[in-house]
Amino acid sequence: MPESRKYGTGDRRPLPEEPSWEQVLERNSIERLKKEKPPVQIVDEIEELGQRHYLDVSEEDIVRLKWYGLYHDKPRVGSFMLRIKVPGGLLPPQSLRAVGEISISFGEGFAELSTRQNVQLHFIELSRVPEIFERLAAAGLTTAGGCGDAVRNITGCPLEGIQAEELFDVIPVVEDAARFFYGNPDYMNLPRKHKITISACPYQCDMPEINCIGLVGATHGGRAGFAVRVGGGLSTAPRLSRDMGVFVPMGEALEVLRAIVDVWKEDRRYRLSRVKARLKFMVDDYGPEGIRGLVERRLGRRLQDFAAPEPQASTNHMGVHEQKQPGLFHVGVPIPAGIVGGEQLIRMADLAWSFGGDVRTTKQQNLIVTGVPGGRLEVVMEELKEIGFPPETNPLRASAIACTGEPHCNYSVTETKGKMLQILDHLEAEWGDRLSNFRLNLDGCPHACALHWVGDIGLMGTTAREAVDGERQAFDVFLRGGVGPEEAIARPVVRRVPFPHVEATLDRLLGAWFAGRGMGESFRDFCIRKTDQELQAIAAGTAVSVGEGT
Amino acid sequence: MSEPVALDEYEAGELSVLYETEPAEDVIAWALERFHPRLAIAEGGGAEGMVIIDIAVKVQPDVRVFTLDTGRLPQETYDLVEQVRGRYGVRVEMLAPEAVHVEEMVRRHGPNLMYRSVDLRLLCCQVRKVLPLTLYLASLDAWITGLRREQWASRAEVRKIELDHDHGGIVKLNPLADWTKREVWDYIRANDVPYHPLYDQGYTSIGCAPCTRPIEPGQEDRAGRWWWEKDGPKECGIHCAIYTGGFEHELEALLKTERFEDGDREDR
Repeated sequence: MPESRKYGTGDRRPLPEEPSWEQVLERNSIERLKKEKPPVQIVDEIEELGQRHYLDVSEEDIVRLKWYGLYHDKPRVGSFMLRIKVPGGLLPPQSLRAVGEISISFGEGFAELSTRQNVQLHFIELSRVPEIFERLAAAGLTTAGGCGDAVRNITGCPLEGIQAEELFDVIPVVEDAARFFYGNPDYMNLPRKHKITISACPYQCDMPEINCIGLVGATHGGRAGFAVRVGGGLSTAPRLSRDMGVFVPMGEALEVLRAIVDVWKEDRRYRLSRVKARLKFMVDDYGPEGIRGLVERRLGRRLQDFAAPEPQASTNHMGVHEQKQPGLFHVGVPIPAGIVGGEQLIRMADLAWSFGGDVRTTKQQNLIVTGVPGGRLEVVMEELKEIGFPPETNPLRASAIACTGEPHCNYSVTETKGKMLQILDHLEAEWGDRLSNFRLNLDGCPHACALHWVGDIGLMGTTAREAVDGERQAFDVFLRGGVGPEEAIARPVVRRVPFPHVEATLDRLLGAWFAGRGMGESFRDFCIRKTDQELQAIAAGTAVSVGEGT
Repeated sequence: MSEPVALDEYEAGELSVLYETEPAEDVIAWALERFHPRLAIAEGGGAEGMVIIDIAVKVQPDVRVFTLDTGRLPQETYDLVEQVRGRYGVRVEMLAPEAVHVEEMVRRHGPNLMYRSVDLRLLCCQVRKVLPLTLYLASLDAWITGLRREQWASRAEVRKIELDHDHGGIVKLNPLADWTKREVWDYIRANDVPYHPLYDQGYTSIGCAPCTRPIEPGQEDRAGRWWWEKDGPKECGIHCAIYTGGFEHELEALLKTERFEDGDREDR
């Protein structure tokens, strides 16, 4: 029985024979759907589809719409989510303003900041999409490849080009890659979704460890370029990316990205089943050195040996800091749960515009206003407070993230953002600022959009068997995960905690850490030091002692 | 506070990768060994469920099988249950809805409420299927369904082993996930497995009598289920999403009700 085999990474099995296209098409209905009519073409039909009643739009076309960022809202009665890509989180004021206006004119007046620096709108009607696309294009934005089997938003450090400590400016690389991949028909029929991140942030805040490809900025022999990590990804079979062991000079970055995507997309083994289609499973099969070999063969040349640098520390770039441009500052704007009103977006855009600044989206669902002249700092802070997002709020409100979830997402089994706001209120009241930058990652389903596998504490929605206070929504509690210097995949150590008990459970875990932690011991290290049983007892409130030596 | 579970999310994820390339027989044998008798096969008259039963009884003659006996099933479904009992010696568990729920619903809205509005049709599904299913699954550690990826675009990513977070986080096995329709029928013929007689009359899915009908050649599958609805939820057409879990959420969102617990009364 295969169960006796050790599962997870490391245990490589012999590669099966590559299936024929015929076998792929027989076995994988989405490959069939893509072959029958390539989703990249659906954009030409949206106007016509929008004239129909949603029940008269075929199920297959509804799937194809994902390739342009359109996902059926819940319930599936003809209203859509629209995911707008923001390469590297770069959202200049005129683009931000357009998003705010569109959310008001075509949605319900709000937007969500996603964990991959996208902006999402809900309640979008298909009939109005052509007009929305026109306005987005005019604002320099696109939704092409926002969802579906495409290169998704190319993410990065939100401070590219301005961070005092960054190794070099990667904006040209991010923009080149976005220009090349977004909507490119050759890359709109991948085996599955594909996630790329590029940065030269010494903190590696863009989390290359959980992306399909992470270009990690480095200098080598006096040249600016990248180390390459491949095969990260979370969802139900989480993997941290692995070092391909090469250095790629900046000017060759796009060529290497293409080569990696090409070797994966052309291997039909990863099209047979969508369960094993992501690049991470190819890395499981070949190992990072095997992928390197395939890529080098494709490029027709060897790549330089190089070990990926370690991240210096962890940060989400909130707070006020001087930029590499003297006299200018960037200001972190915490957006609790990533929900922001259209009016608020417009006001922030106008604010940034007024001093020639910029706005960036972050992976923690926050915004950063950049280019603030030192003399204007006070006014800008005041203005942001008035808009409803005081920069000087509890840092926990910036570091916690929650997925879209209920009420909008069809996958979610629990409410997410609302629950997160409730939990944040509680934790703030209970622990004040002792939890600054604590990464609480809350997901409504196993897909892990809010990265529950790598939070300090991850919460994942499920149902309890018995209702508690009339509620069956429950959460699994994931512990020992982390990113950056603490990169690791968590385990669901405490399970099926009914929502009414979640706050008390968090309090007991945090309380035990505060009471029993060693000097500078992180929450993760504390959880590693404790056994599962000990942590479960602490969480349940049945631990005999919580502190060290008490 | 924290309920014991049969598998955790990490194990389930890795097992689903591991078993992705294994045959249905191995998935079923593994599940029976690990979870029987706290495991049951869902059989609603579909050909897939019959294949699973045929495979499972060879490994575990006492395997548990259940059907949602909504009270509105076609006679042929009961005939099939009799055949399963006779052929395999399996005592199919017939899950009846709460009488008090049905009586109240029918008193308020009449027996044919499903034709009146999407809300009422969903209410009927809720009372006759969702609540009995939820109650029953709460007593299990695992269940086996006949979901197949090609049935519906939204099922393309169904895993052979997963946790059912819509139903208390128990294990859900979909051993035929990667089978094609042809393979299902090839198996049925090759092994002389009994199947629902309505398939031979042009039905493409089997459900409650008032809500299912045969389709004509060239007609969309959707024409076979809830064909009268004008504003129903997308993707709830042919292969009812009841086993996918999404159904409950769709329903909740549409009816704007809390998932109502056993004993509660729908108050509209």
